[in-house]
Amino acid sequence: MIAVVSQKELGAFDESLASALSESRSEPRWLRDIRLDSYGKFKELPTERNPLYTKYASTFGFDISGVGVSPVPAKIDFRSFFQGYLTGKERNILLQGNETQVHAELDDDLASKGVMLLSMEEALRKDERLVRSLFEQRLARPESDKFVAFVGAFFNCGTVVYVPRGVAVDRPLRRMFLLDGPKSGVIDQTFVCAEEGSKVVFLEELYSKGPAASSMVASTVEVRARPYAQVDLSSIQLLDEQALHVSNRAVETLADAKATVSSLELGAAVSRSRTNFLLNGRGSLAEGFEIFFTDAKQRYDFETNLFHNSPDSTGSTQARGVLKGESQSIFKGMIKIVNAAKNSRSYLAHHAMLLERTAKSDAIPGLEIDNNEVKATHSASVAQIDEEQLFYLMARGLSLDETKRMVVLGFFEPVLSRVPIEQTREGARFMIEGKWDGVKRRLVDRETLLAEEGETTPEVRQTEDIFERHYKYR
Amino acid sequence: MKLEIKDLHASVEGKEILKGVDLSIGQGEAHALMGPNGSGKSTLAYTLMGHPKYQVTSGDVLIGGESIIKLTPDKRVKKGLFLAFQYPVSVQGVSMFSFLRAAYNNSRPPGTEPPTIFEFREEVAAKLKMLSMDETFLNRYLNEGFSGGEKKRAEILQMALMRPKFAVLDETDSGLDIDALRIVAEGINKVSGPDTGSLLITHYQRILKYVKPQFVHVMHQGRIIQSGGEELSRLLEEKGYSWITGYKEEEAAQQPA
Ligand SMILES: Nc1ncnc2c1ncn2[C@@H]1O[C@H](COP(=O)(O)OP(=O)(O)O)[C@@H](O)[C@H]1O
Ligand SMILES: [Mg+2]
Repeated sequence: MIAVVSQKELGAFDESLASALSESRSEPRWLRDIRLDSYGKFKELPTERNPLYTKYASTFGFDISGVGVSPVPAKIDFRSFFQGYLTGKERNILLQGNETQVHAELDDDLASKGVMLLSMEEALRKDERLVRSLFEQRLARPESDKFVAFVGAFFNCGTVVYVPRGVAVDRPLRRMFLLDGPKSGVIDQTFVCAEEGSKVVFLEELYSKGPAASSMVASTVEVRARPYAQVDLSSIQLLDEQALHVSNRAVETLADAKATVSSLELGAAVSRSRTNFLLNGRGSLAEGFEIFFTDAKQRYDFETNLFHNSPDSTGSTQARGVLKGESQSIFKGMIKIVNAAKNSRSYLAHHAMLLERTAKSDAIPGLEIDNNEVKATHSASVAQIDEEQLFYLMARGLSLDETKRMVVLGFFEPVLSRVPIEQTREGARFMIEGKWDGVKRRLVDRETLLAEEGETTPEVRQTEDIFERHYKYR
Repeated sequence: MKLEIKDLHASVEGKEILKGVDLSIGQGEAHALMGPNGSGKSTLAYTLMGHPKYQVTSGDVLIGGESIIKLTPDKRVKKGLFLAFQYPVSVQGVSMFSFLRAAYNNSRPPGTEPPTIFEFREEVAAKLKMLSMDETFLNRYLNEGFSGGEKKRAEILQMALMRPKFAVLDETDSGLDIDALRIVAEGINKVSGPDTGSLLITHYQRILKYVKPQFVHVMHQGRIIQSGGEELSRLLEEKGYSWITGYKEEEAAQQPA
């Protein structure tokens, strides 16, 4: 069996590369040691295997040894580089072309309160102690995941978002990556830290500028919501169909904190994503909303776990995906509730709709509960599009294609309409419609179109408490 | 213009259900189709609308002299046909508002400019009022979690917006309490203009107090076995279906095979 990233291919990523990266970026010694430690774990861990890749490795022929990771020193004119991706009105944004930061700005009032939206290099210059503590208390452990270790050893970029105690950031902070050209490697180590009682929305977007054969985006994003803090993270991925996307997220909520992760995945040849919610504080709340839409030969491998380590914690994750063509997906998810996490509630749902007989999807939910005083449930389904729905809508004059479009877009709504960030919610609808119509649309295109059209269909949102719905009959 | 059903035979999964149905409905005419459960009334309705599971094996259906049996359901809508479902289908995530708007725009004569979202809203508001429906209906998902009565009203709302030439209403009266029945029946009357030909499928007589058909047909075992005026429905109410079906079966039994 060959895996997507075989041991041989990864051979190009060796210890000397990890040291060279550290040196070229003039990193402090402790960080170099962290890289080398991560490298050690990376080498020890077995290659990740997955039936999605092993069978199809040859069809997209991804060769990681071709990926370049050395920093590009050239300064890029960001406005022209990002032309078409920006309206010019964006504020509080960090723009990155491959691994190079090309622009960053943050409103003065936020900066003066101590809010940070910085590249890893900048953050190291400005507040090495903070960065060091984030690294030293990593939530995503390199020994637990080969790609966490990989990113820890070879990251060539990263972002640090920091919100000091009690500061509520009332505008979204954003970052946008543009993957440019073949053989590019963006290896990203990112931290989002919201101190006690603070509040922040962080939106990330991933796009490709042209074909991206043998290109990869690998990232580890750690989110810390300290007591009473609230973090809403959103991630939109529309990479080129030849790119490889690997991501790990670790999201920690301390006492009475709240964190949400909303993700929309549309692009890449292979996307492999893990999210671990660590409910480490009493009364904390974590919610995941995952939406994807695949076609052709795309392969998506998603895993979301809810670890309830404290009493009175509430966690949920809901995924909905639609698969066309010969695309395939796997969802895995685990609810783990430790004995001490009394009175916790947890919910996991995975639903997929297949549009063609050639598409495949598997859902593998699991429960590990060490406590009787909890409510935990999961639901999963994989089904073909419903013929009776198609007939009903066609009997109202809609063509077969319009009908399918309506049913498919509707299928996402029970999850999509719960996404807490308006920009992501509306943007996701717009981008999914685009993919249905065969056009690549970005968030910015929606704003442009809105300005032209001026009329919108009113939004309908689900507000019912999922726990009410699932438990009221018990 | 007429909706003509000629010696229609149709099967589901290889089993023949319709065994030669003949019926002609003119614009402006109201017909009732009655018959016991399982006699093939819904099968006729689905076959007329073009459900892919129901195969026409022989015979024809014509609107204005043109055969529609080769057309997909959406094309039949464009010929002026409408079906109010006995069991309306729910679709998650599709708001009533966007659904109605799509249905409305797709049933306009070709070349007509679709209304703006504001014009459409006004049009729907008027129809909702006519059917004593609340505007919050528009913000719900299509038929999702609707009560039986709400579903039936929603079907008539769609008919009101689509303004068909020929409407087949499949047991639109079943599952309604007496108030809801009156509202739905009045809705049907208001929506059916002088240009609408309707086929009201029911197996109770009670809706016929409100919606007065000029013609009543009785279906049994995939055929129309008796046709008459309004008095036929009253006779059926008094004597039950066995009066007519039993009689006809006996007669059939006497025929040499
Ligand atoms: N989709 C179907 N699959 C199999 N049998 C069907 C289907 N639809 C209808 N039938 C059969 O056709 C006959 C007529 O049913 P139907 O048209 O629903 O009757 P009615 O509407 O008059 O009660 C019944 O015997 C029923 O079992
Ligand atoms: Mg029926």
